[in-house]
Amino acid sequence: MRLLRSESIKLLSVRTTWLMLGIGLLVEALFAGLYVGLVSLDDVGPVREVQTSVGLLMVMLLVLGVLSITTEFRHGTASTTFLASPKRYPVLVAKLGAMLAIGLLTGLAFVAVNGGLALPLFSSRGESLPPAGEIVRVYAGVVASFALLCAFGLGVGAIVRNQVGAIIAAIAFFFVLSPLPELLPGDIGDYFPAQAIGSLHGLPDATEEGLGQVAGGVVLAAWSLALWLIGTVLIGHRDLNE
Amino acid sequence: MPQLEVRNLTKRYGKTVAVDDLSFSVEAGQVTGFLGPNGAGKTTTMRALLGLIRPTSGEAMVEGRPPAEMAEPLRTVGAALEATAFHPGRSGRNHLRVLAASAGIPASRIEEVLEMVELSGSASRRVGGYSLGMRQRLALAAALLGEPRILILDEPANGLDPQGMRWLRDLLRGQAAAGRTVLVSSHLLSEVAQTADELIVIRNGKLIAKASLDEFTSGEASQLRVRCSDPARLAEALPGRGASVARDGDAALLVSGSGSGGEAIGELALELGIAIHELTPLRSNLEERFLELTGEEAVG
Repeated sequence: MRLLRSESIKLLSVRTTWLMLGIGLLVEALFAGLYVGLVSLDDVGPVREVQTSVGLLMVMLLVLGVLSITTEFRHGTASTTFLASPKRYPVLVAKLGAMLAIGLLTGLAFVAVNGGLALPLFSSRGESLPPAGEIVRVYAGVVASFALLCAFGLGVGAIVRNQVGAIIAAIAFFFVLSPLPELLPGDIGDYFPAQAIGSLHGLPDATEEGLGQVAGGVVLAAWSLALWLIGTVLIGHRDLNE
Repeated sequence: MPQLEVRNLTKRYGKTVAVDDLSFSVEAGQVTGFLGPNGAGKTTTMRALLGLIRPTSGEAMVEGRPPAEMAEPLRTVGAALEATAFHPGRSGRNHLRVLAASAGIPASRIEEVLEMVELSGSASRRVGGYSLGMRQRLALAAALLGEPRILILDEPANGLDPQGMRWLRDLLRGQAAAGRTVLVSSHLLSEVAQTADELIVIRNGKLIAKASLDEFTSGEASQLRVRCSDPARLAEALPGRGASVARDGDAALLVSGSGSGGEAIGELALELGIAIHELTPLRSNLEERFLELTGEEAVG
Protein backbone atom coordinates (compact mmCIF):
# COMPACT_ATOMS: atom_id res chain seq x y z
CA MET A 1 0.00 0.00 0.00
CA ARG A 2 2.86 2.37 0.87
CA LEU A 3 4.59 1.57 -2.38
CA LEU A 4 1.38 2.20 -4.30
CA ARG A 5 1.13 5.62 -2.68
CA SER A 6 4.75 6.27 -3.53
CA GLU A 7 4.17 5.30 -7.16
CA SER A 8 1.08 7.48 -7.38
CA ILE A 9 3.00 10.50 -6.11
CA LYS A 10 5.71 9.77 -8.69
CA LEU A 11 3.15 9.72 -11.46
CA LEU A 12 1.22 12.81 -10.40
CA SER A 13 4.18 14.98 -9.41
CA VAL A 14 5.52 15.44 -12.94
CA ARG A 15 3.98 17.64 -15.59
CA THR A 16 4.39 15.02 -18.31
CA THR A 17 1.50 12.98 -16.93
CA TRP A 18 -0.89 15.93 -16.76
CA LEU A 19 0.16 17.29 -20.14
CA MET A 20 -0.24 13.97 -21.93
CA LEU A 21 -3.61 13.18 -20.43
CA GLY A 22 -4.80 16.79 -20.75
CA ILE A 23 -3.92 16.97 -24.43
CA GLY A 24 -5.41 13.53 -25.02
CA LEU A 25 -8.72 14.52 -23.45
CA LEU A 26 -8.78 17.89 -25.20
CA VAL A 27 -8.27 16.29 -28.59
CA GLU A 28 -10.91 13.74 -27.67
CA ALA A 29 -13.42 16.52 -26.95
CA LEU A 30 -12.55 18.22 -30.23
CA PHE A 31 -12.97 15.09 -32.31
CA ALA A 32 -16.10 13.98 -30.53
CA GLY A 33 -17.68 17.39 -30.98
CA LEU A 34 -16.74 17.57 -34.63
CA TYR A 35 -17.96 14.06 -35.34
CA VAL A 36 -21.22 14.51 -33.55
CA GLY A 37 -21.80 17.67 -35.54
CA LEU A 38 -21.27 15.87 -38.83
CA VAL A 39 -23.01 12.55 -38.55
CA SER A 40 -26.11 11.01 -37.16
CA LEU A 41 -25.83 8.38 -34.47
CA ASP A 42 -28.41 6.24 -36.22
CA ASP A 43 -26.01 5.86 -39.15
CA VAL A 44 -22.82 5.09 -37.28
CA GLY A 45 -23.76 3.53 -33.95
CA PRO A 46 -22.12 4.27 -30.60
CA VAL A 47 -19.01 2.15 -31.20
CA ARG A 48 -17.92 4.16 -34.27
CA GLU A 49 -18.71 7.38 -32.52
CA VAL A 50 -16.41 6.48 -29.64
CA GLN A 51 -13.68 5.17 -31.95
CA THR A 52 -13.15 8.52 -33.67
CA SER A 53 -11.86 10.18 -30.53
CA VAL A 54 -10.15 7.32 -28.73
CA GLY A 55 -6.95 7.08 -30.79
CA LEU A 56 -4.64 9.71 -29.35
CA LEU A 57 -5.44 8.74 -25.76
CA MET A 58 -4.60 5.14 -26.58
CA VAL A 59 -1.11 6.19 -27.72
CA MET A 60 -0.71 8.54 -24.74
CA LEU A 61 -1.59 5.85 -22.20
CA LEU A 62 0.68 3.30 -23.82
CA VAL A 63 3.56 5.80 -23.67
CA LEU A 64 2.65 6.79 -20.10
CA GLY A 65 2.97 3.15 -19.13
CA VAL A 66 6.40 2.94 -20.76
CA LEU A 67 7.55 6.17 -19.07
CA SER A 68 6.43 5.00 -15.63
CA ILE A 69 9.45 2.71 -15.52
CA THR A 70 11.93 3.98 -18.13
CA THR A 71 12.23 7.44 -16.51
CA GLU A 72 13.56 5.68 -13.41
CA PHE A 73 16.46 4.34 -15.41
CA ARG A 74 16.89 7.43 -17.54
CA HIS A 75 17.18 9.75 -14.56
CA GLY A 76 18.77 7.31 -12.16
CA THR A 77 15.90 7.29 -9.68
CA ALA A 78 15.73 3.49 -9.94
CA SER A 79 18.51 3.23 -7.36
CA THR A 80 16.60 5.40 -4.90
CA THR A 81 13.42 3.45 -5.54
CA PHE A 82 15.08 0.10 -4.91
CA LEU A 83 16.94 1.42 -1.87
CA ALA A 84 13.59 2.13 -0.31
CA SER A 85 12.43 -1.34 -1.34
CA PRO A 86 15.38 -3.68 -1.86
CA LYS A 87 12.96 -6.46 -2.78
CA ARG A 88 12.15 -5.46 -6.30
CA TYR A 89 8.99 -7.24 -7.31
CA PRO A 90 6.74 -5.33 -4.84
CA VAL A 91 7.79 -2.12 -6.62
CA LEU A 92 6.69 -3.60 -9.94
CA VAL A 93 3.40 -4.73 -8.38
CA ALA A 94 2.85 -1.18 -7.10
CA LYS A 95 3.66 0.25 -10.52
CA LEU A 96 1.18 -2.12 -12.13
CA GLY A 97 -1.46 -1.05 -9.62
CA ALA A 98 -0.76 2.63 -10.21
CA MET A 99 -0.89 2.21 -13.99
CA LEU A 100 -4.16 0.26 -13.91
CA ALA A 101 -5.62 2.96 -11.68
CA ILE A 102 -4.54 5.87 -13.85
CA GLY A 103 -5.82 4.02 -16.93
CA LEU A 104 -9.19 3.45 -15.29
CA LEU A 105 -9.45 7.07 -14.14
CA THR A 106 -8.51 8.35 -17.59
CA GLY A 107 -11.11 6.00 -19.03
CA LEU A 108 -13.74 7.48 -16.73
CA ALA A 109 -12.67 10.98 -17.74
CA PHE A 110 -13.00 9.93 -21.37
CA VAL A 111 -16.51 8.65 -20.71
CA ALA A 112 -17.44 11.89 -18.95
CA VAL A 113 -16.18 14.02 -21.85
CA ASN A 114 -17.59 11.83 -24.59
CA GLY A 115 -20.88 11.11 -22.88
CA GLY A 116 -21.22 14.71 -21.76
CA LEU A 117 -20.74 15.97 -25.29
CA ALA A 118 -22.24 13.42 -27.61
CA LEU A 119 -25.31 12.10 -25.83
CA PRO A 120 -27.00 15.49 -25.15
CA LEU A 121 -26.18 16.66 -28.69
CA PHE A 122 -27.67 13.59 -30.29
CA SER A 123 -30.79 13.67 -28.16
CA SER A 124 -31.22 17.44 -28.68
CA ARG A 125 -31.39 16.68 -32.41
CA GLY A 126 -34.15 14.25 -31.65
CA GLU A 127 -32.13 11.13 -32.45
CA SER A 128 -32.96 8.06 -30.49
CA LEU A 129 -30.11 6.91 -28.26
CA PRO A 130 -29.06 3.28 -28.18
CA PRO A 131 -30.26 1.27 -25.19
CA ALA A 132 -28.47 2.11 -21.95
CA GLY A 133 -27.03 -1.39 -21.80
CA GLU A 134 -25.22 -0.92 -25.07
CA ILE A 135 -23.86 2.48 -24.11
CA VAL A 136 -22.50 1.04 -20.86
CA ARG A 137 -20.97 -1.90 -22.74
CA VAL A 138 -19.13 0.35 -25.22
CA TYR A 139 -17.85 2.69 -22.54
CA ALA A 140 -16.80 -0.19 -20.27
CA GLY A 141 -14.71 -1.59 -23.11
CA VAL A 142 -12.89 1.73 -23.50
CA VAL A 143 -12.24 2.08 -19.75
CA ALA A 144 -10.85 -1.46 -19.52
CA SER A 145 -8.70 -1.00 -22.62
CA PHE A 146 -7.15 2.17 -21.18
CA ALA A 147 -6.08 0.38 -18.02
CA LEU A 148 -4.66 -2.53 -20.01
CA LEU A 149 -2.76 -0.19 -22.36
CA CYS A 150 -0.99 1.38 -19.38
CA ALA A 151 -0.04 -2.07 -18.12
CA PHE A 152 1.13 -3.08 -21.60
CA GLY A 153 3.41 -0.03 -21.75
CA LEU A 154 4.80 -0.76 -18.29
CA GLY A 155 5.65 -4.31 -19.38
CA VAL A 156 7.48 -3.17 -22.52
CA GLY A 157 9.32 -0.45 -20.56
CA ALA A 158 10.43 -2.93 -17.90
CA ILE A 159 11.85 -5.22 -20.57
CA VAL A 160 13.52 -2.63 -22.80
CA ARG A 161 14.48 -0.03 -20.12
CA ASN A 162 15.92 2.42 -22.64
CA GLN A 163 13.33 5.18 -22.87
CA VAL A 164 13.38 6.00 -26.57
CA GLY A 165 13.81 2.36 -27.52
CA ALA A 166 10.91 1.30 -25.32
CA ILE A 167 8.54 3.98 -26.64
CA ILE A 168 9.34 3.03 -30.23
CA ALA A 169 9.07 -0.68 -29.44
CA ALA A 170 5.71 -0.30 -27.71
CA ILE A 171 4.11 1.87 -30.41
CA ALA A 172 5.58 -0.12 -33.29
CA PHE A 173 4.51 -3.43 -31.84
CA PHE A 174 1.06 -2.39 -30.75
CA PHE A 175 -0.05 -0.21 -33.63
CA VAL A 176 2.10 -1.33 -36.56
CA LEU A 177 3.15 -4.96 -36.18
CA SER A 178 0.36 -6.53 -34.19
CA PRO A 179 -2.38 -5.69 -36.76
CA LEU A 180 -0.40 -7.60 -39.42
CA PRO A 181 -1.18 -11.20 -38.37
CA GLU A 182 -4.82 -10.39 -39.15
CA LEU A 183 -3.83 -10.69 -42.80
CA LEU A 184 -2.79 -14.29 -42.27
CA PRO A 185 -5.34 -17.02 -42.93
CA GLY A 186 -7.08 -18.44 -39.87
CA ASP A 187 -7.90 -16.83 -36.53
CA ILE A 188 -4.34 -16.24 -35.36
CA GLY A 189 -4.66 -12.46 -35.80
CA ASP A 190 -7.47 -12.29 -33.25
CA TYR A 191 -5.01 -13.12 -30.53
CA PHE A 192 -2.70 -10.15 -31.19
CA PRO A 193 -3.15 -6.90 -29.24
CA ALA A 194 -4.44 -4.72 -32.06
CA GLN A 195 -7.33 -7.01 -32.93
CA ALA A 196 -7.97 -7.87 -29.30
CA ILE A 197 -8.40 -4.21 -28.35
CA GLY A 198 -10.77 -3.86 -31.31
CA SER A 199 -12.86 -6.68 -29.93
CA LEU A 200 -12.76 -5.13 -26.47
CA HIS A 201 -13.98 -1.83 -27.91
CA GLY A 202 -16.79 -3.74 -29.62
CA LEU A 203 -15.76 -2.93 -33.18
CA PRO A 204 -18.10 -4.86 -35.48
CA ASP A 205 -15.39 -6.19 -37.81
CA ALA A 206 -13.39 -7.36 -34.82
CA THR A 207 -16.25 -8.89 -32.91
CA GLU A 208 -18.19 -10.49 -35.73
CA GLU A 209 -15.23 -12.29 -37.24
CA GLY A 210 -13.03 -12.32 -34.18
CA LEU A 211 -13.41 -12.67 -30.47
CA GLY A 212 -16.23 -11.26 -28.41
CA GLN A 213 -15.77 -8.22 -26.23
CA VAL A 214 -14.92 -10.12 -23.06
CA ALA A 215 -12.61 -12.55 -24.85
CA GLY A 216 -10.83 -9.62 -26.51
CA GLY A 217 -10.31 -8.09 -23.08
CA VAL A 218 -8.94 -11.34 -21.69
CA VAL A 219 -6.48 -11.67 -24.59
CA LEU A 220 -5.25 -8.09 -24.15
CA ALA A 221 -4.94 -8.61 -20.40
CA ALA A 222 -2.93 -11.78 -21.00
CA TRP A 223 -0.49 -9.89 -23.24
CA SER A 224 -0.08 -7.09 -20.69
CA LEU A 225 0.37 -9.49 -17.80
CA ALA A 226 2.89 -11.64 -19.69
CA LEU A 227 5.01 -8.63 -20.65
CA TRP A 228 4.83 -7.30 -17.09
CA LEU A 229 5.90 -10.68 -15.71
CA ILE A 230 8.90 -10.90 -18.05
CA GLY A 231 9.87 -7.33 -17.22
CA THR A 232 9.54 -7.97 -13.49
CA VAL A 233 11.75 -11.05 -13.62
CA LEU A 234 14.36 -9.19 -15.71
CA ILE A 235 14.49 -6.22 -13.36
CA GLY A 236 14.67 -8.54 -10.37
CA HIS A 237 17.89 -10.01 -11.71
CA ARG A 238 19.54 -6.95 -13.15
CA ASP A 239 22.37 -4.94 -11.64
CA LEU A 240 21.30 -1.38 -11.05
CA ASN A 241 24.07 0.96 -12.00
CA GLU A 242 21.74 3.80 -12.83
CA MET B 1 28.94 -7.03 15.01
CA PRO B 2 30.20 -4.72 12.24
CA GLN B 3 27.46 -2.51 10.82
CA LEU B 4 28.70 -2.95 7.28
CA GLU B 5 30.80 -5.79 6.04
CA VAL B 6 32.06 -7.09 2.73
CA ARG B 7 33.58 -10.54 2.62
CA ASN B 8 35.67 -11.61 -0.36
CA LEU B 9 33.53 -9.41 -2.54
CA THR B 10 34.20 -9.77 -6.25
CA LYS B 11 32.28 -8.09 -9.04
CA ARG B 12 33.05 -8.66 -12.70
CA TYR B 13 31.50 -6.91 -15.66
CA GLY B 14 32.40 -9.17 -18.54
CA LYS B 15 36.18 -9.30 -18.44
CA THR B 16 36.54 -6.19 -16.33
CA VAL B 17 37.05 -6.82 -12.63
CA ALA B 18 35.54 -3.89 -10.77
CA VAL B 19 35.99 -5.31 -7.27
CA ASP B 20 38.53 -8.01 -6.58
CA ASP B 21 38.22 -10.21 -3.47
CA LEU B 22 37.64 -7.22 -1.22
CA SER B 23 37.06 -7.65 2.51
CA PHE B 24 36.57 -5.02 5.18
CA SER B 25 34.15 -4.02 7.88
CA VAL B 26 32.82 -0.70 9.09
CA GLU B 27 31.97 0.01 12.72
CA ALA B 28 29.43 2.29 14.31
CA GLY B 29 30.21 5.58 16.02
CA GLN B 30 32.85 6.79 13.62
CA VAL B 31 33.27 8.23 10.17
CA THR B 32 34.96 5.81 7.82
CA GLY B 33 36.56 7.32 4.73
CA PHE B 34 36.47 5.15 1.63
CA LEU B 35 39.30 6.29 -0.56
CA GLY B 36 40.63 5.43 -3.94
CA PRO B 37 41.24 6.97 -7.33
CA ASN B 38 38.37 7.21 -9.79
CA GLY B 39 37.47 3.78 -11.08
CA ALA B 40 38.90 1.97 -8.05
CA GLY B 41 35.61 0.20 -7.34
CA LYS B 42 34.23 2.41 -4.56
CA THR B 43 30.82 2.92 -6.15
CA THR B 44 30.50 -0.75 -7.10
CA THR B 45 31.27 -1.77 -3.51
CA MET B 46 28.71 0.68 -2.14
CA ARG B 47 26.07 -0.50 -4.60
CA ALA B 48 26.71 -4.08 -3.54
CA LEU B 49 26.26 -3.06 0.11
CA LEU B 50 22.93 -1.51 -0.85
CA GLY B 51 21.72 -4.58 -2.73
CA LEU B 52 21.61 -2.73 -6.05
CA ILE B 53 24.11 -5.02 -7.74
CA ARG B 54 24.74 -8.69 -7.22
CA PRO B 55 28.24 -9.74 -6.28
CA THR B 56 29.86 -12.17 -8.71
CA SER B 57 31.11 -13.89 -5.57
CA GLY B 58 31.47 -13.05 -1.90
CA GLU B 59 29.04 -11.18 0.29
CA ALA B 60 28.00 -7.69 1.24
CA MET B 61 26.19 -7.43 4.57
CA VAL B 62 24.25 -4.77 6.40
CA GLU B 63 23.95 -5.34 10.14
CA GLY B 64 24.99 -8.94 9.50
CA ARG B 65 22.36 -9.65 6.87
CA PRO B 66 22.13 -9.37 3.08
CA PRO B 67 20.77 -5.95 2.11
CA ALA B 68 17.65 -7.42 0.51
CA GLU B 69 16.58 -8.72 3.93
CA MET B 70 16.47 -5.34 5.66
CA ALA B 71 13.20 -5.03 7.50
CA GLU B 72 12.94 -1.25 7.31
CA PRO B 73 15.35 -0.22 4.57
CA LEU B 74 15.17 3.56 4.81
CA ARG B 75 15.38 3.47 8.61
CA THR B 76 18.39 1.15 8.43
CA VAL B 77 20.49 2.64 5.66
CA GLY B 78 20.38 6.08 4.11
CA ALA B 79 22.37 6.48 0.94
CA ALA B 80 23.33 9.29 -1.39
CA LEU B 81 24.80 7.79 -4.52
CA GLU B 82 24.74 10.21 -7.38
CA ALA B 83 23.89 13.86 -7.20
CA THR B 84 22.26 13.74 -10.60
CA ALA B 85 19.78 10.97 -9.90
CA PHE B 86 16.57 12.97 -9.83
CA HIS B 87 13.67 13.36 -12.21
CA PRO B 88 14.31 16.89 -13.50
CA GLY B 89 10.60 17.65 -13.66
CA ARG B 90 9.85 16.77 -10.05
CA SER B 91 10.28 19.27 -7.24
CA GLY B 92 12.75 18.60 -4.45
CA ARG B 93 9.93 18.22 -1.94
CA ASN B 94 8.04 15.78 -4.16
CA HIS B 95 11.19 13.70 -4.58
CA LEU B 96 11.27 13.33 -0.81
CA ARG B 97 7.50 12.71 -0.67
CA VAL B 98 7.90 9.74 -3.01
CA LEU B 99 10.52 8.26 -0.69
CA ALA B 100 8.69 9.10 2.50
CA ALA B 101 5.50 7.48 1.23
CA SER B 102 7.29 4.22 0.47
CA ALA B 103 8.53 3.95 4.05
CA GLY B 104 5.57 5.48 5.90
CA ILE B 105 7.62 8.47 7.02
CA PRO B 106 5.47 11.44 8.11
CA ALA B 107 5.41 14.64 6.06
CA SER B 108 6.79 16.65 9.00
CA ARG B 109 10.07 14.78 8.65
CA ILE B 110 10.35 15.99 5.04
CA GLU B 111 10.29 19.60 6.20
CA GLU B 112 12.81 18.73 8.91
CA VAL B 113 15.40 17.34 6.53
CA LEU B 114 14.80 20.15 4.04
CA GLU B 115 15.56 22.55 6.87
CA MET B 116 18.69 20.57 7.78
CA VAL B 117 20.14 20.79 4.29
CA GLU B 118 18.96 24.38 3.88
CA LEU B 119 16.73 23.67 0.91
CA SER B 120 13.39 24.73 2.40
CA GLY B 121 13.24 27.82 0.19
CA SER B 122 13.82 25.91 -3.05
CA ALA B 123 11.87 22.74 -2.22
CA SER B 124 8.91 23.61 -4.46
CA ARG B 125 11.08 24.24 -7.49
CA ARG B 126 11.75 21.56 -10.07
CA VAL B 127 15.06 19.78 -9.57
CA GLY B 128 16.02 20.45 -13.20
CA GLY B 129 16.83 24.02 -12.17
CA TYR B 130 19.00 23.07 -9.16
CA SER B 131 22.74 23.64 -9.04
CA LEU B 132 25.03 20.67 -8.44
CA GLY B 133 25.45 21.75 -4.83
CA MET B 134 21.68 21.86 -4.32
CA ARG B 135 21.26 18.40 -5.84
CA GLN B 136 24.00 17.14 -3.58
CA ARG B 137 22.13 18.52 -0.57
CA LEU B 138 18.83 17.07 -1.77
CA ALA B 139 20.54 13.68 -2.08
CA LEU B 140 21.73 14.08 1.51
CA ALA B 141 18.23 15.03 2.62
CA ALA B 142 16.94 11.83 1.02
CA ALA B 143 19.63 9.82 2.82
CA LEU B 144 18.73 11.37 6.18
CA LEU B 145 14.98 11.07 5.68
CA GLY B 146 14.47 7.81 7.59
CA GLU B 147 16.86 8.75 10.43
CA PRO B 148 18.91 5.71 9.44
CA ARG B 149 21.45 3.95 11.65
CA ILE B 150 23.88 3.77 8.74
CA LEU B 151 24.82 6.38 6.15
CA ILE B 152 26.48 5.46 2.86
CA LEU B 153 27.54 8.50 0.89
CA ASP B 154 29.29 8.37 -2.47
CA GLU B 155 31.39 11.47 -3.11
CA PRO B 156 29.00 13.74 -1.18
CA ALA B 157 31.36 16.70 -1.34
CA ASN B 158 31.31 16.99 -5.13
CA GLY B 159 29.87 20.33 -6.10
CA LEU B 160 29.73 21.74 -2.58
CA ASP B 161 31.26 25.14 -1.92
CA PRO B 162 33.71 25.54 1.00
CA GLN B 163 30.85 26.52 3.28
CA GLY B 164 28.91 23.44 2.20
CA MET B 165 31.96 21.26 2.82
CA ARG B 166 32.26 22.52 6.37
CA TRP B 167 28.53 21.96 6.88
CA LEU B 168 28.91 18.41 5.55
CA ARG B 169 31.85 17.72 7.87
CA ASP B 170 29.88 18.91 10.88
CA LEU B 171 26.91 16.80 9.82
CA LEU B 172 28.98 13.64 9.42
CA ARG B 173 30.80 14.21 12.72
CA GLY B 174 27.46 14.77 14.41
CA GLN B 175 26.02 11.55 13.00
CA ALA B 176 29.05 9.56 14.12
CA ALA B 177 28.96 11.16 17.56
CA ALA B 178 25.34 10.04 17.88
CA GLY B 179 26.55 6.45 17.45
CA ARG B 180 25.66 6.05 13.82
CA THR B 181 27.76 4.44 11.13
CA VAL B 182 29.07 6.67 8.38
CA LEU B 183 30.81 5.39 5.25
CA VAL B 184 31.82 8.19 2.94
CA SER B 185 33.79 7.79 -0.27
CA SER B 186 36.06 10.25 -1.97
CA HIS B 187 38.84 10.38 -4.48
CA LEU B 188 40.17 13.46 -2.72
CA LEU B 189 42.10 12.72 0.41
CA SER B 190 41.88 16.27 1.72
CA GLU B 191 38.07 16.06 1.89
CA VAL B 192 38.12 13.00 4.07
CA ALA B 193 41.21 13.75 6.16
CA GLN B 194 39.45 16.33 8.31
CA THR B 195 36.40 14.16 8.94
CA ALA B 196 37.31 10.49 9.02
CA ASP B 197 38.43 8.46 11.99
CA GLU B 198 39.17 5.39 9.93
CA LEU B 199 40.37 5.08 6.36
CA ILE B 200 39.85 2.30 3.85
CA VAL B 201 41.93 2.70 0.71
CA ILE B 202 41.30 0.63 -2.39
CA ARG B 203 42.78 0.56 -5.83
CA ASN B 204 41.83 -1.56 -8.83
CA GLY B 205 39.16 -3.17 -6.69
CA LYS B 206 41.64 -4.41 -4.10
CA LEU B 207 42.13 -3.35 -0.51
CA ILE B 208 45.35 -1.38 -0.14
CA ALA B 209 45.11 -0.15 3.41
CA LYS B 210 42.74 0.00 6.33
CA ALA B 211 43.90 2.04 9.28
CA SER B 212 42.91 4.80 11.60
CA LEU B 213 43.69 8.33 10.53
CA ASP B 214 46.33 8.55 13.30
CA GLU B 215 48.13 5.56 11.93
CA PHE B 216 48.07 7.13 8.52
CA THR B 217 49.64 10.38 9.41
CA SER B 218 52.31 11.57 11.77
CA GLY B 219 51.11 15.08 11.27
CA GLU B 220 54.37 16.48 9.89
CA ALA B 221 54.59 17.81 6.38
CA SER B 222 57.02 16.01 4.16
CA GLN B 223 57.73 18.78 1.71
CA LEU B 224 58.17 22.48 2.28
CA ARG B 225 58.54 25.41 -0.01
CA VAL B 226 61.17 27.87 1.19
CA ARG B 227 61.75 31.39 -0.02
CA CYS B 228 64.67 33.21 1.46
CA SER B 229 67.21 35.99 0.92
CA ASP B 230 69.87 33.64 -0.47
CA PRO B 231 68.36 30.49 -1.94
CA ALA B 232 71.58 29.34 -3.62
CA ARG B 233 73.57 29.23 -0.37
CA LEU B 234 70.73 27.58 1.57
CA ALA B 235 70.35 24.97 -1.19
CA GLU B 236 74.04 24.17 -0.86
CA ALA B 237 73.94 23.79 2.90
CA LEU B 238 70.70 21.80 3.28
CA PRO B 239 71.90 18.43 1.91
CA GLY B 240 74.53 18.43 4.66
CA ARG B 241 71.64 18.10 7.14
CA GLY B 242 70.09 15.20 5.28
CA ALA B 243 67.47 17.12 3.30
CA SER B 244 67.04 16.96 -0.44
CA VAL B 245 66.49 20.17 -2.31
CA ALA B 246 64.95 21.12 -5.61
CA ARG B 247 64.62 24.59 -7.14
CA ASP B 248 61.13 25.96 -7.52
CA GLY B 249 61.63 28.84 -9.90
CA ASP B 250 64.40 31.39 -9.16
CA ALA B 251 63.49 32.43 -5.68
CA ALA B 252 62.10 29.31 -4.00
CA LEU B 253 63.31 25.88 -2.92
CA LEU B 254 61.40 22.65 -2.41
CA VAL B 255 62.83 20.81 0.56
CA SER B 256 62.03 17.26 1.52
CA GLY B 257 63.53 14.23 3.25
CA SER B 258 64.88 13.98 6.79
CA GLY B 259 66.07 17.22 8.33
CA SER B 260 63.53 19.09 6.26
CA GLY B 261 61.28 20.19 9.12
CA GLY B 262 60.54 23.86 9.52
CA GLU B 263 62.60 23.99 12.69
CA ALA B 264 65.71 22.47 11.10
CA ILE B 265 65.53 24.77 8.09
CA GLY B 266 64.98 27.85 10.21
CA GLU B 267 67.93 27.12 12.48
CA LEU B 268 70.22 26.44 9.54
CA ALA B 269 69.19 29.71 7.93
CA LEU B 270 69.91 31.58 11.18
CA GLU B 271 73.40 30.05 11.34
CA LEU B 272 74.06 31.16 7.79
CA GLY B 273 72.56 34.59 8.32
CA ILE B 274 69.86 34.04 5.72
CA ALA B 275 66.43 35.57 6.16
CA ILE B 276 63.47 33.24 5.63
CA HIS B 277 60.63 34.85 3.68
CA GLU B 278 58.29 31.94 3.35
CA LEU B 279 58.02 28.43 4.76
CA THR B 280 55.02 26.53 3.39
CA PRO B 281 54.23 22.87 3.99
CA LEU B 282 53.16 21.47 0.60
CA ARG B 283 52.27 17.88 1.15
CA SER B 284 51.40 16.09 4.32
CA ASN B 285 52.62 12.61 5.02
CA LEU B 286 49.05 11.47 4.67
CA GLU B 287 48.72 12.74 1.16
CA GLU B 288 52.12 11.30 0.31
CA ARG B 289 51.02 7.94 1.69
CA PHE B 290 47.79 8.08 -0.25
CA LEU B 291 49.54 8.88 -3.50
CA GLU B 292 52.04 6.16 -2.81
CA LEU B 293 49.35 3.63 -2.00
CA THR B 294 47.13 4.40 -4.90
CA GLY B 295 49.92 5.08 -7.34
CA GLU B 296 48.18 8.20 -8.51
CA GLU B 297 50.40 11.05 -9.47
CA ALA B 298 47.85 13.79 -9.48
CA VAL B 299 44.75 13.31 -7.38
CA GLY B 300 41.75 15.45 -8.15
